[in-house]
Amino acid sequence: MLNRRHLLATAFAATALPRLAFAAAWSAIEAEAKGQSVYFNAWAGSDTINAYIAWAGDEVKKRYGVTVEHVKITDTAEVVKRVRDEVAAGKADGSVDLVWINGENFRIMKTEKLLFGPWSEAQPNYALVDVEGKATTKQDFSETVDGLESPWGMAQLTFFADGAKVPNPPRSMKALLEFAKANPGRVTYPAPPDFYGTTFLKQAIYEHSADRRFMSKPDDGSSGLLAEDTFTNFLDELHRHCWREGKQFPKSQADVTQMVADGELLVGITFNPNEPANLVAAGRLPATTVAWQHEQGTIGNTHFVAIPANAKAKAGAQVFANFLLSAEAQAKKNDIKIWGDPTVLAVQKLNDAEKAAFAAASAPGGVTLPGPTLLEPHASWVPALEKLWLERYGKG
Amino acid sequence: MVRAALALPLLAVFVVPLLLSVALVLPDTFNAQGMNDVWQHPQFAGAFRLTLLTGLASTTLALFSSLLIVARSSRSLSSRAGGFLAVPHLAFAIGLAFLIMPAGILARIIAQFAGWSAPPAWITTQDPYGLALTVALVLKETPFLVWALASVLNRDDLRQAFAGQRAVAASLGHSRRSVFLQVILPQLLPRVIWPLVAVLAYGMTVIDMALVIGPTQPPTLAQLIWVDINNADPEVNARGAAGVVLLSGVILLVVATVAALLRCASTAISGFWSKGPHQSRLRLTSLRHLPQRGRRREAPDEVSSLWNAFRIIYVLVIATLILQSVSGLWVFPNLLAEHFTLSAWKRLLTDASPVFTSLALAILTATTSLAASVLWLESVPQSKDKGLLWLSAFALCLPALVIGLGQYRLFLALAISGTATAMFFAHILPVAAYVFIMLQGPYRGFDDRFRSAASGLRASRAHFLRQVKWPMLKAALFSAFAVGFAVSMAQFVPAQLAAAGRFSTLPMEAVTLTSGGNRALTAAYGFALMALPLIVFLVAVRMGRSRWRTV
Repeated sequence: MLNRRHLLATAFAATALPRLAFAAAWSAIEAEAKGQSVYFNAWAGSDTINAYIAWAGDEVKKRYGVTVEHVKITDTAEVVKRVRDEVAAGKADGSVDLVWINGENFRIMKTEKLLFGPWSEAQPNYALVDVEGKATTKQDFSETVDGLESPWGMAQLTFFADGAKVPNPPRSMKALLEFAKANPGRVTYPAPPDFYGTTFLKQAIYEHSADRRFMSKPDDGSSGLLAEDTFTNFLDELHRHCWREGKQFPKSQADVTQMVADGELLVGITFNPNEPANLVAAGRLPATTVAWQHEQGTIGNTHFVAIPANAKAKAGAQVFANFLLSAEAQAKKNDIKIWGDPTVLAVQKLNDAEKAAFAAASAPGGVTLPGPTLLEPHASWVPALEKLWLERYGKG
Repeated sequence: MVRAALALPLLAVFVVPLLLSVALVLPDTFNAQGMNDVWQHPQFAGAFRLTLLTGLASTTLALFSSLLIVARSSRSLSSRAGGFLAVPHLAFAIGLAFLIMPAGILARIIAQFAGWSAPPAWITTQDPYGLALTVALVLKETPFLVWALASVLNRDDLRQAFAGQRAVAASLGHSRRSVFLQVILPQLLPRVIWPLVAVLAYGMTVIDMALVIGPTQPPTLAQLIWVDINNADPEVNARGAAGVVLLSGVILLVVATVAALLRCASTAISGFWSKGPHQSRLRLTSLRHLPQRGRRREAPDEVSSLWNAFRIIYVLVIATLILQSVSGLWVFPNLLAEHFTLSAWKRLLTDASPVFTSLALAILTATTSLAASVLWLESVPQSKDKGLLWLSAFALCLPALVIGLGQYRLFLALAISGTATAMFFAHILPVAAYVFIMLQGPYRGFDDRFRSAASGLRASRAHFLRQVKWPMLKAALFSAFAVGFAVSMAQFVPAQLAAAGRFSTLPMEAVTLTSGGNRALTAAYGFALMALPLIVFLVAVRMGRSRWRTV
C-alpha cells in the first residue's frame, strides 16, 4: 500500500510540471482552433454513423467554435492517395484535416511521412484511454501508433445469425464447417481482398496453426506453407458446402448482411460487435438475431483518427479529436441505439455519472457469447495471403 | 477571323482540358512493372475473357434487338426512348437484381406456391459467365440504340428520302422486312457507328452494374482495375493504371477488328443488300398485308412487341425500386416487408444541397455544351467535324477513371482542385462529348436550301437562325440538351476526385451512402437519380415537338 502511494506521489511530482505546460499548450490550440473548418474525411456508408458525426460536429461548433464538415467517402484509400498527390504537388493547405483510418492505410501514411504529429497523446482526454487493457490503442495492426493518430473505437471480428434459425451458433472454424455441412449453401464470406474476407482468412489460419505468435513478425516466406495448410485442411472442404459451392463469393460484408436479412445466408460477419444489435434497432435484422465470437477468440483492432501532414486546420482537428475521446462522446457512440461502437476508454477510470452512461442494458442482437481479442498479424502477411487465396479460389 | 473565334468555346471547355488531362495521365500508365503485374494477376485471364464476352455479347444483342424494334415499329420511338434512357445504369441493375435474385420478388412469388421457406439455390445473379450482367446491359443499352436509330430515321431530310425509297422498293415487290434489311439498314448502320462504339466501350468498362449483378470470381477486368486503382499502395495503383491502358487498347482493338471484318465481308454484304426481294418472304408478307387496304401506311400506333416487353421490364424494375425504398425488414418468402418506413426518403430530403449542386451543374454544363457545339457547327466547316467526333468518341471510350485522374492532376497543378471551376470542368467533359455527337448529325444534315431561300428573302443570318433553322432543329437541340443533362447528373468518378470533399453531388452522395448496403436508401437514391433526368427528357420531348409536322 505504502509502496503504491509512494509510487503515485513520485509519478505526480514527475508529471505535474509538464501537465501545466500541457494545459497551456492545449488552451493555445483551442484558441487557434476557434473559427476553423475541419474537413473530416470518413467512410459514410452507415446512416447511424453519419448522424453521430453530425451530432459531434454540432457539439464542437457550440463549445469551441470549430466547424466540422463531414466529407463522405467510400474508401479511406482515396484519402491516402489524395493527400499523397497534394503533398507531391506542393499543396500546403491540404483538403483533408482529419481522416478516419487504421491498419494498412495508417501504415502507408506513416511510412510515407504523410501524417502530422506526434499529437494524440497530448490531448487532455487521452488520459482516459485504456492503453493497458486495450493494447491495440497503441499498436495499429503491426504498426506502433507513436502519437500519430488518436484512438476512436474498438472492433472485433463477430458473427451473427437469426437465433430462431441458428439455436447453437458455431463458435470455432471447425464448428462452422460442421454447420455448413448441415446447412449446405447457407454459409459464405466476402471474397478477399475485401477487408472482411481477408480477416476471415486470417482467423481461419489462426485457428489452424499450432503457433500463431510468429505471425506478429514480418512474413519470412512461411505464408505460403501456412496458407497451403489451412487451404487443404479446411477451406477446400468448407467451400464445398458454401454458398455457390465456393465458386462465387459476395463482394462485400454489406452484401452478406443483406443476404442474412433475406434468409439466403444463415451466418453474417462484422467487425463491430454491436452492429447486429444496431441493425435490429434500425429494423433491418429480426429481433431474434444473436451475435457471438469464437471461443478461442477472434481478431480485434482499434480504429483511429489522424491528421495529414498538410492539413490546413490542424488545431481544429485536434480539438475535434479530443472531443471524440471525451467520456460524453464515447458513451453516446457506445449506445446501441446511436451507433454501438465500443469505447477505447478505460471505463473504470471514469466517475460514477460517466460510468452510468456506459452501462448498457442488453439489447437484442448484442454479443451473448464473447471471446478474447486476438491481435492482427503483421501487415506484410496480408498481400501474400490475398494473392494465394485468389490463385486458388479466385478463378471460378 | 471572327467566325473562327466562334469555335473557341468548345475548344476551351472540351478539347484542351481533355488533351491536357490525357497528357498528364499517360506517363504513369506506361509503367513496365505495372504492365507486368497485370499479366501476373491471378484473375487476369478469367477477367479478360469475361470482359470480352459480356462486352461483345451485350453490344451485339442490343444492336439486334434495337434493329428489330425499329424495323417493327412505325411510330417515332425517339420520344419514347427518353424515359428508358433516364434510368441510371446503377439504379436499373439494383432493381433488376432484386427482381431475379434468389431472395428476389420472382422467387418470392414462386415460393408462395412451392412452399419454400428459404431462398432457392438459383444462379440468377453473379453467374460465372456474366449472363446476368449481359442481360442487364442489353436491357439498358437497347433503348439507347433505338433512340439513336430513331433519331436518324426521323431526321427531316432523311425521313422523306426513306419514304420515297420505301415506296420504290415496295413497288419492286420488296416486303416491309425486305425493304428494311436491304434498303434502309445499309444507310442506317453507318450513321449509328459512334453510338455503337459507345455502347461497346460502356459494356467493357462498366463498374457499378458489374458490382451489383456481375460475377466476382473472377470479376470483369474493369472491376479488377477498380479495386487496384482504389488501393492505397502506389504499386497496386500502377498495376491498375496499366490495366486501364490495356483495357482501352483492347476496346480499340475490338473496334478495329470488327471494322476490318466488316470491310472484308463487304462484298458478301453488299451482294445481299443489292439482291432483289426474297420470294417466299414476298408471298408471306403479301398475305399478311391482305386485310390492310392497299399498301398504305401501317396503323399509326404499331409498336414492336419486343419494345412492349422492354416497357414491362422497366416498369417492374422501377416499381421494385419504389417498393424497396419504403421497405424495412423483408423476410423471405414474404411478398411484402414486415414494416414500411419513410426513413430513406427523409434522409434524402433532410440535406437537399447535393440535389441543388447536381441540378445547377447539369443545367450549366448542358447549356454551355449546347451553345458551344452550335457555335462550332455554325462557324467551322464540316470537314473539320471528323476530328472532333473522334475526340468525343475517344473521351467516351476512355474509362472515367483515366480522365478523372488526369483532370485531377490538372486541377492540382492549376491550384483549382476543390473549387466550383473544377467541378464545372469535371462535369462538362463527357457532357460536351455526348452533346456534340448527338447534335452533329442532325445539324449538319440540315437542308441548306432553306438558307438559300431565306437569304433570297433578305433574312439576316440571325433572323434565319432564330426563325427557321433552330425551330426546325429544335427536337435535336432539346434532346441533345436532355442527354447532356442526364450525363451530368450521372457523373461520379471525376467529380469525386475534383471535389476534394468541398462539394457533394447527388451521385456522390448516393454512392457513399449505399456503400453500407442499406437497400432502402440505395433504392431511394436510385429513384432520385432517375427522376430529374426523366423530367427533363419528358419536357424536352414536349418542347421539341414540331409545330408543323408534315405528313
